[in-house]
Amino acid sequence: MKKKVLMQCKAELLRIFRNPYYVFWSLLMPIMFYFIFTRVVNTGGDDSKLWEAHYLMSMTTFSVMGSSIMTFGIRLVEERTQGWATFMQITPLPGQIYFLGKMFGQTMMHIFSITLIFLAGYLMNGVSLSASQWISSGLWILIGSLPFLAIGTLVGAMKRVDTASGVSNAVYMALAVAGGMWMPIEVLPKIMQHISKWLPSYNYGNGAWQIVRGHSPEWSNIIISLGYLVIFMILSTYVRKKQEVV
Amino acid sequence: MEVIVEMNQISKSFKEKKAVDHISFNIHKGSIVAILGPNGAGKTTTLSMMLGMLEPTQGTVKIFGQHPKDIKVREKIGAMLQQVSVIDRLKVREVIELFRSYYPNPMEMEFLINLTGLTPSDLNRYAEKLSGGQKRCLSFALALAGNPELLFLDEPTVGLDTTARRKFWASIRELSKQGKTVVFTTHYLQEADDAADRILLISQGALVADGTPEEIKSRIVKRSLSFLSDQDSPEFRQRLIALPSIAECYDKDGRICVTTDNTDSVLAAIFTGGLPVRDVRIDQGRLDEAFEQLTQNHEEAV
Repeated sequence: MKKKVLMQCKAELLRIFRNPYYVFWSLLMPIMFYFIFTRVVNTGGDDSKLWEAHYLMSMTTFSVMGSSIMTFGIRLVEERTQGWATFMQITPLPGQIYFLGKMFGQTMMHIFSITLIFLAGYLMNGVSLSASQWISSGLWILIGSLPFLAIGTLVGAMKRVDTASGVSNAVYMALAVAGGMWMPIEVLPKIMQHISKWLPSYNYGNGAWQIVRGHSPEWSNIIISLGYLVIFMILSTYVRKKQEVV
Repeated sequence: MEVIVEMNQISKSFKEKKAVDHISFNIHKGSIVAILGPNGAGKTTTLSMMLGMLEPTQGTVKIFGQHPKDIKVREKIGAMLQQVSVIDRLKVREVIELFRSYYPNPMEMEFLINLTGLTPSDLNRYAEKLSGGQKRCLSFALALAGNPELLFLDEPTVGLDTTARRKFWASIRELSKQGKTVVFTTHYLQEADDAADRILLISQGALVADGTPEEIKSRIVKRSLSFLSDQDSPEFRQRLIALPSIAECYDKDGRICVTTDNTDSVLAAIFTGGLPVRDVRIDQGRLDEAFEQLTQNHEEAV
């Protein structure tokens, strides 16, 4: 049993890091954005140090949210459409171990992204946070990705790769913009700002933004994120159950 | 003999369409069974139910006396599905290792590598980069990764060239000698005749014949004699049809043909009767003719 888990985790880890899309979507794009919006056009106003730390959190959450929704979701669809998921059903590998392997690969990839993007922030702008701030913001981003992984499993229930990648891309970008990951929500119209506060992406980002300002994530951030996690998990379980009936 | 597979009054409907209609059969240990039928006959559906990938609408499937989805069953079976799927971003060798780890008593790595017939450099390539034929060889190795007692193969030789095909059936015979049970589907009649020791002929979801290739042939196939005659006339035809053991007489490709159960007695009768014939040929009934007859008869019956 232990060997099965180890082998499955190792395989998923290899697969995720060998995926070229991962490098582009989860690392190159957020780091490029970070460079543009802190070095080329500075939109941060007076306190540029705070802006650099704030935007670093924006881009890290942006990266991890993307890989949770898109990489995870689309891979699930691919495995199903290519018949791999069906093939796994006839092996004695329990479905839970298969899923565990996937989650492990995804988590390792998130840790890697967080580390690398934080490092980019430190090297580009000399972002300086206390050790506990680095660690707690990193942990927040890692754990806070759960509701988005649940969205990923919903995307993963789609029938075609094209649909899944189109839909997940749209959802991802809409959540990023509306949740203040690209620009602070203060630049959005008043109505949008009210909506934003209820979005999972804003609450995800805000937890990290609070940490770099020396605060803890707000209770509302935690509660709303948990709420979304529960909703998406129930939805995803429901959809899956419905699909299983043949 | 030990019964490995028990299919009892199995039916499967998809919405309105009945794909499999009251099929029952048992498969014994060590046999090589071909599920033969034209496209869309219900072969893959039948196989999918044995694999537990589909639940029958009616009837019960038992593999090793248990439900096909039981983990104890899965540890003892291997399968090669029609849709060859390979996990991406893993090298061939890694995929095989991964699959071996799923089973309690996996097959030797060396054996599986030999089975794929891939070169060391191909073994280090990503599985999805292999050619179609190579992927099939890999999926054959994966089917055997757990050293299964029962092997399911859905149209296993599609996309294989002649050499690969011969090598494939040689491996299957070798595995069968070790006591493994093999069930495969095919619409190649020749393949079922050559490789299987039992054929289940399926047409339109129903089991229309079940027996050894010889039994199926002898039951259905009438042998025929054909010849030329310089004195062909209605009177000659009448003498011909009056001979014992001739079933019918007809013209084909400019030759006179007679069908019979016993070519020897017809030949004897022709020559003792002094019938004016020359250039006599005996045509052995072929399995594909039997196949066509069976499946067509069934269609007419419906």
